[in-house]
Amino acid sequence: MSEERELTRAELLKLGGAGAAGLGLYLSGGSALAAQMRSAAARSTEGVTLNWLTWFDHYFPQQLTVTKKKTGIGCRTKLAPSDSQIYTTIRTTGSQFDIAAMDALWVPKAHKDGLTESFDLSSIPASKQLYPDARHISIWKDGSNTMAYPNGWSTIQVYYNPKFVKTKPDSYDALLDPKYKGKIVYENSPETMMAFGGLATGAKQPYDLTIAEIARAKAWLKKWKPNILKLVNQNTETVTALKDESAWIGLGNLGVELRVKAAGGPPIKVAYPKEGLLGWFDGEQKVARSKHKDVFEQFMNSVEGQTAWIAKNFIANGRPMFNEKAYKLLVNQGYKHRADLFNYSKPELIFKAHLQGPSKNPQAITDAFNEVFGG
Amino acid sequence: MSIAHGEGGGGGTVVSLAGRYGGLVPAAVLFGLFFFIPFGLIVCFSFWQDFDYKVIHHWTVENYRYVFHQSAYIRTMWATLWMAVAATGITLGLAFPFAYWLSRYVRAGLQKPLLVLVIVPFWTSYLLRMYSWLTILGSKGVVNTALEWLGITHRPLSLLYDRPAVIVVLVYLYFPFAVLTLYSSIDRFDWDQLRAAMDLGAAPLRALRKILIPQIRPGIITAIIFVFIPILGEYLAPQIVGGTKGIMIGNLIDNFFAGAEYARGSSVALVVALFIVLLLVLFRKSLASKEAYGA
Repeated sequence: MSEERELTRAELLKLGGAGAAGLGLYLSGGSALAAQMRSAAARSTEGVTLNWLTWFDHYFPQQLTVTKKKTGIGCRTKLAPSDSQIYTTIRTTGSQFDIAAMDALWVPKAHKDGLTESFDLSSIPASKQLYPDARHISIWKDGSNTMAYPNGWSTIQVYYNPKFVKTKPDSYDALLDPKYKGKIVYENSPETMMAFGGLATGAKQPYDLTIAEIARAKAWLKKWKPNILKLVNQNTETVTALKDESAWIGLGNLGVELRVKAAGGPPIKVAYPKEGLLGWFDGEQKVARSKHKDVFEQFMNSVEGQTAWIAKNFIANGRPMFNEKAYKLLVNQGYKHRADLFNYSKPELIFKAHLQGPSKNPQAITDAFNEVFGG
Repeated sequence: MSIAHGEGGGGGTVVSLAGRYGGLVPAAVLFGLFFFIPFGLIVCFSFWQDFDYKVIHHWTVENYRYVFHQSAYIRTMWATLWMAVAATGITLGLAFPFAYWLSRYVRAGLQKPLLVLVIVPFWTSYLLRMYSWLTILGSKGVVNTALEWLGITHRPLSLLYDRPAVIVVLVYLYFPFAVLTLYSSIDRFDWDQLRAAMDLGAAPLRALRKILIPQIRPGIITAIIFVFIPILGEYLAPQIVGGTKGIMIGNLIDNFFAGAEYARGSSVALVVALFIVLLLVLFRKSLASKEAYGA
């Protein structure tokens, strides 16, 4: 059996079915005592509804339904557009939100600014399902506590169509070649575009450029602009552009080549620029001004403990999760090769990337980006 | 009422005022809460400063100075303006003959079903309609496939990711607004006047220009307002089909808000809003200055 195949609808249902069966067993409980404990817990949290500011790919509605049944804790989700907007939202909305997702270096900033509260990860039994690397993320440590519950990760690499791109683009400067005019796509993300410019021009912290580095990154971006076909809204547009060959090169999260292939597109290869990779990992934080901080751990334990749904999340959204148990489930269900293509079992890789985070000069970043792409 | 009169003029005045302005209250509350207060906040934000993802309440004109000193914003505003003019012109150019034909030559029973067909696209999501254009104009899309199949071209034409693609999509998006407005105006026209003009020797086009157009001028100006002004604020169409060459001012504003640069974003948004208000004043003036027939 070729493991590099695409997931069929039947297989997806099977995976979901396995998850549902597992959840059913979990819900039905192993003992009367466990059932009583769950029932007592549900009674104590009855009527609590958490507001969760997060990204669409961090949960399935079924996980929330199960959590409601099991713990009595309801949840309303609000989809978040970007880290900076999540940061400003929880800063300005008081106790309106209870949980907020954020990326890598944004998490310590939110914590330092008093917006979030750290917690004891070991008090959440589901955290035992995480890879050890994810349980001990140094930049998220606050003494013995952690600032966020780890979710997923990806590096951003260069994908190219070898039919048109004969020389592997092994540096960001290779993307400036005039022969790629109007043939490159990436997401409309000013901070990440500027970070590419920063990496290409030698900045050590590409997401936190100094004013001088911003000027250099801007000059680099100006040279790159003619080669950019489109700044896409979402990753699916990168896949479409590579599939129909309107773009020869795309930058994106792990697995773009598989998605292009699944969409019936041409073979796509991956390149890792020598200057290094940008990357992100994200997690869920306890909002400091939440009125329901006492149920955060219980809620996270229920949502993140639903291994089958975490595995399904990987299949559906195509980027590695930090949940090791879900990887083992994927292996058992025949998806080892697919998971390994995404480096699922190598979470240590993300900690070598230049991590997404806030800038000390955010206005200068957006200004520079607009000045390059405007007009 | 008699009690009010008996107690003196004050009570009567209150009742009279309540009768006269009572109906205004719901609209005033709605506009106050959801337009004037947010608009006031945008004005304040535009004179404040962004710092470390926070808006600092320090009054300054720096945001405006920046916008008017950066050629990128002037160029983008200019590009937005001419794209809006082109899209509005083409939209009205297509909508007018259609509305004319519908009103004059289609029998009454068929007019309404045809109008419904015009608004059918509104039944699907705006985003979906936008993305469908990628399938239509893409290098392996419907148009290119048809052209190659017919032997007219031998390689895909680059139809997407430039300003013409944005204009085409904007025309498609705003065509129904123009048709509905023009149709409602033309439908009230007395066709006997046009016939009389031609009986008296006017050529058909001259009759249209001298008799029909002046009478439906309010409808034409309303159609321009409904099409031109929303286009000035468009950012999704240029982002999805325009590529880096089709960027409009809305995209730059969106970048500021996505980056939580609310003060800077508010100042650019306000410049565009003020420009729109100025246009509305001009349109209103042109409506009030002449009566129908241009008298």
